[in-house]
Amino acid sequence: MQQPQALRRVTDHTLGRHLVVGAVGVVVVVALMSFLGSFRVSQLASFSYLAIAAAGLTVLTGLNGQLSLGHGAFMAIGAYTAAVLQRSDSGLPVVVVLLGAVVVATLVGAVVGMAAARLHGPYLAGATLALAIAVPGLAIFWSDLLGGEQGLTVPLPEVPGWFADAVFFLTATDPSSSRYVAYLAGVALVLVLVLLANVSSSRVGRRWKAVRDDEVAAQLAGIDLGRARVLAFVVSAACAGLAGGLMAFVVRLTAPSGFTLTLSLTLVTAIVLGGLGSLAGALIGAALLTFLPQLATGLGGDLGLTDVQAAELAPLVYGVVMVLVILLAPGGLVGTVRMRQARRAALRAAAAAPAPQHDAPPSSERERSS
Amino acid sequence: MTVLDVQDLTTTYGAVRALDGVTFTAPEGKVTAVLGANGAGKTTLLRTLSGLVPPTRGTATLGDTDLLSTPAEEMTRAGLAHVPEGRGVIAQLTVEENLRLGSLGARPQTERRFGLERVFGLFPLLGDRSNQVAHTLSGGERQMLVIARALLAEPSILLLDEPSLGLAPRVVGQIFDLLRGLVDEQGLTVLLVEQNARSALSIADVGLVLDLGKVVVHDDARTLVDDSSLRHAYLGF
Amino acid sequence: MQQLLSILLTGLTLGAVYAAFALALVMIWRSTRIVNFAQAPMAMVTTYVALVLIDAGASYWVGFVAALLSGFLLGAVIERLVVRHVEGKAEINAVILTLGLFIVLHSLAAIVFGARFRSFPAPFGIRGFQVGDSTVPLTGFGIFTLVAVLVVMGLLVALFRGTDIGLRMRAAAFGPEVARLLGVKVGRMLTLGWALASVVGSLAGILIAGGGLVHPGYMDSVVVYGFVAAVLGGLDSPGGAVVGGLALGLTLSLVSGYVGSEVVPLSALLVLVVVLLVRPGGLFATVHERRV
Repeated sequence: MQQPQALRRVTDHTLGRHLVVGAVGVVVVVALMSFLGSFRVSQLASFSYLAIAAAGLTVLTGLNGQLSLGHGAFMAIGAYTAAVLQRSDSGLPVVVVLLGAVVVATLVGAVVGMAAARLHGPYLAGATLALAIAVPGLAIFWSDLLGGEQGLTVPLPEVPGWFADAVFFLTATDPSSSRYVAYLAGVALVLVLVLLANVSSSRVGRRWKAVRDDEVAAQLAGIDLGRARVLAFVVSAACAGLAGGLMAFVVRLTAPSGFTLTLSLTLVTAIVLGGLGSLAGALIGAALLTFLPQLATGLGGDLGLTDVQAAELAPLVYGVVMVLVILLAPGGLVGTVRMRQARRAALRAAAAAPAPQHDAPPSSERERSS
Repeated sequence: MTVLDVQDLTTTYGAVRALDGVTFTAPEGKVTAVLGANGAGKTTLLRTLSGLVPPTRGTATLGDTDLLSTPAEEMTRAGLAHVPEGRGVIAQLTVEENLRLGSLGARPQTERRFGLERVFGLFPLLGDRSNQVAHTLSGGERQMLVIARALLAEPSILLLDEPSLGLAPRVVGQIFDLLRGLVDEQGLTVLLVEQNARSALSIADVGLVLDLGKVVVHDDARTLVDDSSLRHAYLGF
Repeated sequence: MQQLLSILLTGLTLGAVYAAFALALVMIWRSTRIVNFAQAPMAMVTTYVALVLIDAGASYWVGFVAALLSGFLLGAVIERLVVRHVEGKAEINAVILTLGLFIVLHSLAAIVFGARFRSFPAPFGIRGFQVGDSTVPLTGFGIFTLVAVLVVMGLLVALFRGTDIGLRMRAAAFGPEVARLLGVKVGRMLTLGWALASVVGSLAGILIAGGGLVHPGYMDSVVVYGFVAAVLGGLDSPGGAVVGGLALGLTLSLVSGYVGSEVVPLSALLVLVVVLLVRPGGLFATVHERRV
């Protein structure tokens, strides 16, 4: 089928292609959020904020090579900012509250990023791990403002009139506040994905990759290593802040117990499962993290486990899969599929045009025997 | 008498043939110098013989031992001591600890030719510095340390990879004289890989020239030195 | 004065435990260039092994020995079966692998041992000694902690400095290829290194647990403190890890006493960042340039 001329001109440009995909994404979000039951909608809302955080993290880790185990801390910062702003009776629109969450997380991200830019591998991992452990304690230290152990409940936002009208027009029902939040989360996810996809394929993204692959070469090519690293960290922290802000509205409570080390490790799991550096992978990972627990818990119940035990099955599965991914398919799901496709394409090309044969490169590093 | 017998030895790295059908024997109590340009396969030959790199084809026997089926960590017990390129001291350990490691891997059931005392006699400098951490040693001292350590393993053959690398000519001379002495007095067999062909041939009995993984010349050291066209073609002096 | 003394003594015992944990991290880092973040849940699991035995009627000491033995086994099994495959590969893979193990051990422990808080006994008093009217803020268990850590460190020094196997282990860690050529079975030495490190980690785990509560996450913050202590000492130096552990224990105890226990993790983070940015080689660095 021939593509219309105009559409093809648009999709020839990366930005254009991303915008088209984004527009389709918004339509899908609206359709899903309008017609699904409220349980599914709240699940989708959780998926959206996890996916936003995972997408930000995969850009940092996959494209720039910085592994952060502390992104749960930025989510906490975003969530607490949103909670405090929303409770302040200032009547700020939700979008402004979310922007506030992004701004604060961005500022903290810039400070942490400047320190992180000078660290590598295990040192960076250890430092961000410390961050993940340290930040929730602040909520207890400033308990007057942040509510201590109990946390802060987050009042539901009012549904704006135009939104209610639009939804009524589509579905002939009045939208609830939580459905409004879910819409916001879904649209925010699409927005973030379009932005990140653009950044990745832009000059900035290419610089990040250059820094990841070879510092010396990048430096010789005139790239400021520190600036590239800090920028990647800031973008990633901003995503986590937005995710945290949305989480505050979806969960309606921000408490230190919601931002344990587990949350940070969960994000890492998501991006490893999907494949480091791939936005699609981050989506797949976030989807697994959202929908697997219910499945695993149900299965655990059938196997005669108690609720508490069954609830641990999902993390057990992620953990095992994460270990297996690293041992067997370090590219993650998306990376492995891509590699297969590339190999198949190469085989087809070779079959079509028998070129002078080159021996295949060695499949892996030489084995180190015991 | 032949100690080391290598037949049709071939080693490949991916598509690259680093060793291509190498065949030679190393006579007992002699120094065999392995010469050739960078990338000729000299180091690969030693690494294949000592089990660090798997060969694709061929055989190599040391006395009655099949070297190619012996794992690297069994080599010293089989009587082969390999001193790798770049000195190979373990810099964080003391001189004495480095030497102890040599004795720990020694060939069982052999008459001890080289005790610690003997080695300190050969290399008095090492005796003076036995409690020093090895990274404080100079390049020449390190080379003496690794040779001493290899001797403590009581090898029937000593594989040396570029012992002259980065050393002052005077130090190279000292070390080579010492080696020659050991060969003459103790009947040690040496396979000496060198870029520095002139120095190597000055103490070698036999010379073996590798080019692109193949043996191109295998002859008396004297003959090699005297044949000027050969020297120009492969040895650069 | 009484308060300061009490804070310092608490800091000293805590510091001894952090030192042990840091030492476990350093031992593994030196031999395989991996920071074993899974050390925390490994120590948690072995402490649960002790708890199960003690709850079943065994004495504290049986549990203590069982914890250390199971630590040895767990360390060896994890190195041999899992970690072996990422040694010498990209460092990010090793980090992610230890995190995967972290999650697995966590959830397994919650399934097998339950996720609730359980109290763990202490073999000695956890109250200060009475001298006349005043209480000396030094507890029996505190003394035991210090002694246990010192004894284990002494044994490690004896093993590494004084025995052939210790020499082989150090050779395998510092120069794996040269060690192989000298007849050292490097793979076996690395497995043994992980096993011993895991014993030391288990010791830290059971000492932290004594007289307190355990649950699957109780060691999570300790891995951070252990890491900070290890980095303070330079990550490569066992002696540095011990001094770093003690220094960190005292610092955090002071922070906890005078500022508040909630900011203890934050101050550990600050200590870490300052050390990494100002003296990347650790407090006792002899080499000045180091990639961190």
